Amino acid sequence: MDTYFEQFDRDGALRETEAALPAETRRDLLLGALAGGTALALFASEPASAATKGDVAILNYALVLEYLQSSFYTEAERRKALRTATAKQTARVLGSVERAHVAALEQALGSAAVKRPFFDFRGTTENEDAFIRTGVAFEDLGAAAYKGQAHRIQSKALLQAAISIHSVEARHAAWIRYLAGTTPASSAFDEPKTMAQVNRLVASTGFIVRRPTTRSRRRPRFTG
Amino acid sequence: MIRGAALAALGGVTIGVALLLLDRSSDSPPVTRPSLVAAVPADDPLAPAPAPGLSIPAPRLLANGEAVSVWAPLRASAVVRAAPSSNASALGTLPARTPEGTTNIALVTGNGVDRQALWVPVRAAGLTGWISRAALGGYQTVDTLLEVDTRAFTATLHRAGRVVFSAPVGVGTVDAPTPTGDFFVRNVLTRYSSAAYGPIAFGTSARSETLTDWPAGGFVGIHGTDRPDLLPGRVSHGCIRLRNIDILALARLMPVGTPVTIT
Repeated sequence: MDTYFEQFDRDGALRETEAALPAETRRDLLLGALAGGTALALFASEPASAATKGDVAILNYALVLEYLQSSFYTEAERRKALRTATAKQTARVLGSVERAHVAALEQALGSAAVKRPFFDFRGTTENEDAFIRTGVAFEDLGAAAYKGQAHRIQSKALLQAAISIHSVEARHAAWIRYLAGTTPASSAFDEPKTMAQVNRLVASTGFIVRRPTTRSRRRPRFTG
Repeated sequence: MIRGAALAALGGVTIGVALLLLDRSSDSPPVTRPSLVAAVPADDPLAPAPAPGLSIPAPRLLANGEAVSVWAPLRASAVVRAAPSSNASALGTLPARTPEGTTNIALVTGNGVDRQALWVPVRAAGLTGWISRAALGGYQTVDTLLEVDTRAFTATLHRAGRVVFSAPVGVGTVDAPTPTGDFFVRNVLTRYSSAAYGPIAFGTSARSETLTDWPAGGFVGIHGTDRPDLLPGRVSHGCIRLRNIDILALARLMPVGTPVTIT
């Protein structure tokens, strides 16, 4: 597990969820998502050479991360399990901002936008300590992920937009680090993360899961 | 004092701009500048940044009292208990799969309770109680609600509090009445070959109270029909029948997990 996640996973919550994965292993999930053509394919399809797939692919990659963050905060607010007013306010405000990021990316991508993955946050939205630790990990990851793509973005206008979002993610990281009782900004320089690194970290959480099977072609046997 | 500081800052900016312009017109050898000057466009160092390529809307908070329902799939068969504790009496066991072979789901009816382990209140087929959070998968939300009126013979779908669909229906006869109460849609069946059920059938968590020995548990469906001439009325064994054109329209609007209130 990455240092970002290790640092804020003192109780091993993320590691536990990783270990608690049922028969669906992380690798299975990745392969399943690829076969199903879901958003996770973007993470998994990042080649070792990091060849540019174009600005659309980068926007979709950003969209998956924004889906992850916005779904996390929105669920935390809706589950009403956070104890303190500060944590509640964090989920409420950060959720609204991440949803705005999602809306902007969806609008820009139009029909090229990937589908929202199916998430299972495994109780981290219903326990304040786990919520804060996971939030720190997500925001650090978001800032590092945007930074890792900056040099690959061809359009100056999109780069400008990405930088605008990146600095907001960094503010969020400082905000929730402060909430976690950690120094908000202790490094002089932040390191970027590649798509492959981000992919591994997201997969390690087990938060992106297969969509449950709710459709069937079986002949109905309802009462009629 | 503040005014003085502002003037000093403005003066500093003015001097900086003047030095920059002076530098551009100078004949002196180019000086290697490591950072900011080298980063701005070569054609116009003072050009503003390009407009962002995305239109980012203003953040919107969740509405207070938003009308959403939460459901979750079952990871495995799980015991429903009378209280949020593994020591509470067992009310029954929820299977992981439905008789139709789909993932079984439960409607999450309230907030969780953390007592050493997390417990959440649920409503499932025939059972209402508490289930371990670990037995459930990821939460999903819907903003739809289907109301079926067995006296007016109508089905009305609401989305975010607004009516988006309404159609006449057939319901159970007096001998096999459609059960009343609060239920939910738990799966969708398509592409089967049975004219009697029409092109699409929704499975619900509602169960017939009279046809207890019906195959596959006597669950009530919401489906099409090959006898539209009988609608509306009391014509079924408990299922809610719609004209095929109506069930197709409903299928485009009603996701799995939608609560169903039958009165």
